[in-house]
Amino acid sequence: MAIIDPIITGLSAGWHHIDASTLEKNRHFEADVVIVGTGAGGGTAAEILSQAGLKVIMIEGGALKSSSDFDMEERHAYPNLYQQAAALKTADKGVSIFQGRTVGGSTTINWTTSIRTPQPTLEFWQQAKSVKGLSAAELQPWFEKMEQRLNIEQWQYEANRNNAALRDGCEKLGWQHTVIKRNVKGCWNTGYCGMGCPVNAKQSMLVTTIPSALEHGATLISRAKVVKLEHKGDKVVGLTAQAMTEGFKPTALTVTFSAKHYILSAGAIHTPSILMRSNTPDPHKLLGKTFLHPSLLSGAMFSEQINGHSGAPQSIYSDEFVWQDGAAGELGYKLEVAPVHPVLIASKTIGYGVTHAQLMANFNQMQVTIALIRDGFNEQSPGGQVRLTDDSFVLDYPLTEGFWRGAKRAFLSMAELQFAAGAKKVLPMHDGLSFFDSWNDAKQGINQLDLGLIKTIVASAHVMGGCAMGEDKTQAMVDSNGASHYFENLSVMDGSVFPTSLGANPQLSIYGIVARNATALAQKLTGAT
Amino acid sequence: MKRRTFLTGAFAGTAALALGVNLYSPTLTIAPDDIHHRVLFSVFIPIFLDGSLPEVPSHREMAINRTLDAISISISHLPQAQQDELLELLELLEGRFGLLLLSGSMAPLLGREPQQLINMLEFWRFNFLDMLKTAYSGLRELIMASYYSCPEHWGSLRYAKPTFLVSSAN
Repeated sequence: MAIIDPIITGLSAGWHHIDASTLEKNRHFEADVVIVGTGAGGGTAAEILSQAGLKVIMIEGGALKSSSDFDMEERHAYPNLYQQAAALKTADKGVSIFQGRTVGGSTTINWTTSIRTPQPTLEFWQQAKSVKGLSAAELQPWFEKMEQRLNIEQWQYEANRNNAALRDGCEKLGWQHTVIKRNVKGCWNTGYCGMGCPVNAKQSMLVTTIPSALEHGATLISRAKVVKLEHKGDKVVGLTAQAMTEGFKPTALTVTFSAKHYILSAGAIHTPSILMRSNTPDPHKLLGKTFLHPSLLSGAMFSEQINGHSGAPQSIYSDEFVWQDGAAGELGYKLEVAPVHPVLIASKTIGYGVTHAQLMANFNQMQVTIALIRDGFNEQSPGGQVRLTDDSFVLDYPLTEGFWRGAKRAFLSMAELQFAAGAKKVLPMHDGLSFFDSWNDAKQGINQLDLGLIKTIVASAHVMGGCAMGEDKTQAMVDSNGASHYFENLSVMDGSVFPTSLGANPQLSIYGIVARNATALAQKLTGAT
Repeated sequence: MKRRTFLTGAFAGTAALALGVNLYSPTLTIAPDDIHHRVLFSVFIPIFLDGSLPEVPSHREMAINRTLDAISISISHLPQAQQDELLELLELLEGRFGLLLLSGSMAPLLGREPQQLINMLEFWRFNFLDMLKTAYSGLRELIMASYYSCPEHWGSLRYAKPTFLVSSAN
């Protein structure tokens, strides 16, 4: 069946797109609003602002890839669509980070899980982080708007066996679990969301808001990495981007921009990096405080076929342990599953040689549960710190004692759940372990584990924070509407504004909060009421 | 070459989860330095992938060569700082003093028995120094990811991507 690629169709119809790798000389562009980044924040803002009649330019460091490029192979998806070819790690190599670098940002490669910001998180932000106007009730219309826009609905089909095991385990143990809402329309239920949706069913920014903005006359400039923001007094006066080659190496060419208003939506690492590299004011040293939902993995072998590569990657989650000790208490964790594809599993499991070969030989019987630890709510999990290097950045993210305590509890919960769901044996991803054959063995073994850096596999797909919002300047870089505390024509609209992690997958939180803030900005810039 | 040092920084430990689009391209060229690295990786690949590699000698050789090509291209996709760190580790492993430092012996890796190589990897893997643990996990991830990214190595997994798009292209 032929799949129509809406990007190719749109470009043929005259959308304004410039691939900076094809430039032959320096260029300068002007607009009403320049948006840096095209992920959940940038895409949402671009549609709202261009629909308001404003001239918008979207700048993206990644390439413009679309469904005709998405061939469902990890070897092509990772270098083309992910930051650092999916090999990004924290400075001490303790956490692997998966983040999109392509038009549409992480929405192009995420697993479609769409969850509203949890109420305890919103209440914590209000009470401890000086955030105003973002209660669940105040956000409800914005979530509803974006849920409608992106077709976010509860998954109607039977969960695949990978997710069904999570559900079955929860049911046996009496644990809370929820059917996930997904941003899909006409999903083929194949399971390759993480490599770019090949049939344009995922309602990512790539196929929704960005095409809409382009239809409204916006310009998209891809393979242009914003390196600096020029400022004078309380105004931003320009942006400079470096044109990248097709292989994402920097060229000598620059692309400069001037606009009435600037929006940073480059994500929780790059938004603060741009501000830090531009020497913008940060008197309270707040820039770059980053949260990751650092996640543990537990593999389980079932006697029946799990086929974790097939079907919607995530359709069930459990919040049984997220808020057990209150928002500021011991670190809680959300239970989800991860899709099982060869490179991801081969590299994120443990061991080598015959034992690893046996693990891989039972690939289709493997179920993988993950526990996402909620970070940033207390001193046990202060989060990380983005730090600039000569030409790039590193993220320091110390894994604390509090984290390891949470990790041990998470391994115990995952093993208990997997055995309850019928697993024959369970392997927490900690180097040196062998499969546990029963819940009793697992309980004893996990309790004796000496968890630690590198030997315990830790991964993250949710980078948040780095440019926190709030009304108190000693706690926040931008106000609760995303407007800079230091520049009158600068806003931040992405996951970097979160003052802590969320305790939930972030895309819908970004959509809702940015829809609210971009709508207010559009009214301000156009004088509309 | 400006580089961050492996010894103080610990090398990237990269998964290098990627393989390039030119994996099977006849234009794939091998730089002179790369030949040395290929020799080094050809020592490690049979250890890391014992039990996964085909047993038929010609098939085994083909799989190792595919993986070596994949590793080269994977490295090329990494940011320069990570490439520098990785290449520094490889150079240490190719030099006598580097080997002494990392493995306690100057004997070239090429001449070591499989069990000696396993002992070295186990020494790194469970070492109290994060630097050596990182060396182990970095090489492991690079080799595993490169091998399993090749569709012709998926036979034992019984994994295949859906064919509907392939059909539509015909």
